[in-house]
Amino acid sequence: MIIAFFQYIGGLLMLAGSIFCLLAAVGLLRLPDIYTRMHAASKAGTMGTGLLLTAIAIVSFDGAIILRAIAGFVFLLLTAPVAAHLLARAAFLTGHKPTELTIINELDSEKTKK
Amino acid sequence: MNFAFGSIVLALIWAAITASFTLLNLLLGWAIALIALWFIRSYLASPVLFSKVKKIIALIAIFFFELAMSAIRVALLVIMPNIKSHLKPGFIAFPLKAKSDGEITLLANLITLTPGTLSVDVSNDKKILYVHAISIDNKQQLIRSIAKGFERKIIEVFE
Amino acid sequence: MSSADFLIFAGIVSFAILSLAFFLTILRIILGPTLPDRVIALDMLVYIGIGYIAVVVIYTGYFLYLDIAIALGLVGFLATVAFARFILHRGRASEQIKQMESEPEPEAKKKRKRKL
Repeated sequence: MIIAFFQYIGGLLMLAGSIFCLLAAVGLLRLPDIYTRMHAASKAGTMGTGLLLTAIAIVSFDGAIILRAIAGFVFLLLTAPVAAHLLARAAFLTGHKPTELTIINELDSEKTKK
Repeated sequence: MNFAFGSIVLALIWAAITASFTLLNLLLGWAIALIALWFIRSYLASPVLFSKVKKIIALIAIFFFELAMSAIRVALLVIMPNIKSHLKPGFIAFPLKAKSDGEITLLANLITLTPGTLSVDVSNDKKILYVHAISIDNKQQLIRSIAKGFERKIIEVFE
Repeated sequence: MSSADFLIFAGIVSFAILSLAFFLTILRIILGPTLPDRVIALDMLVYIGIGYIAVVVIYTGYFLYLDIAIALGLVGFLATVAFARFILHRGRASEQIKQMESEPEPEAKKKRKRKL
């Protein structure tokens, strides 16, 4: 009974995670410039993959595997923002311009002052 | 104290990753943890006090909530039919109150994973964090929400 | 529908959704006007790959595959960091080449011609 309950929850988490992954990919395709695309990839992507790993932890019923899935999730949470930050910084410093929709650009004015 | 605590935690993580809790494996993990900690011995911070555990757990709870909210917000934004009219991106200078490198790193990571913001760069004097936001309605309000939310909690944990 | 059937059904649907996400991401890699766009898409590809392996783990029940997902996450992170550094250095290098081309070249050519 309890196993069935956890299996339903795990299946739902799996569907939710893959839908988040799909939305991140759609965002990657539809958003106008590098920086906004990075929002989609770093947030929705991490969330989707994290949900899929959580689904493993819920379905497995094995302490070691639960710990490993959680370790993978934590590792993802630690590395994804670092990767996004490094990419955004590299893109900005090499002069990739943000979209025309940008309304405030304080970073640009600061950099040109120096 | 910090060295011993850190090595025990790392040994337990080793046992979890290798999926066997035998005595021999725990000892092996402990030895590897000691070697790893010996390499970074000069960077080890002051010991984390156990009285702060409650605040750390509160920070983690807030973080997961905000991560879920931000992912849902980005997901909803992406499936809007007229996406361009909902986007108001911009770079904002956020004045940092946090001082140490550890605090700034943690804050930048948390900012990247929370609603509509992405940390881009830190100024050379470590006083300003440049943040890219995906839709800015009110700049002052956004800065205030970061300063009162995450930054205060992080400073509480670290001080 | 029993719970095990639901799990398998969810696995198949997840495979379909993730395949679509894979396709869209590869579309961005092909379209991507600049190098950073492509690197973000590659990063996303790694996330979707980890997700794929996670679904395979649940679908087949071979929990050992989880190690592959964690290893893929490690390699993907290192690859993204390496790409970021590459973008940084290549950008600076191209600026330097532009400066060298714009300023000192005419004089150097003249001097060389005089020597010859």
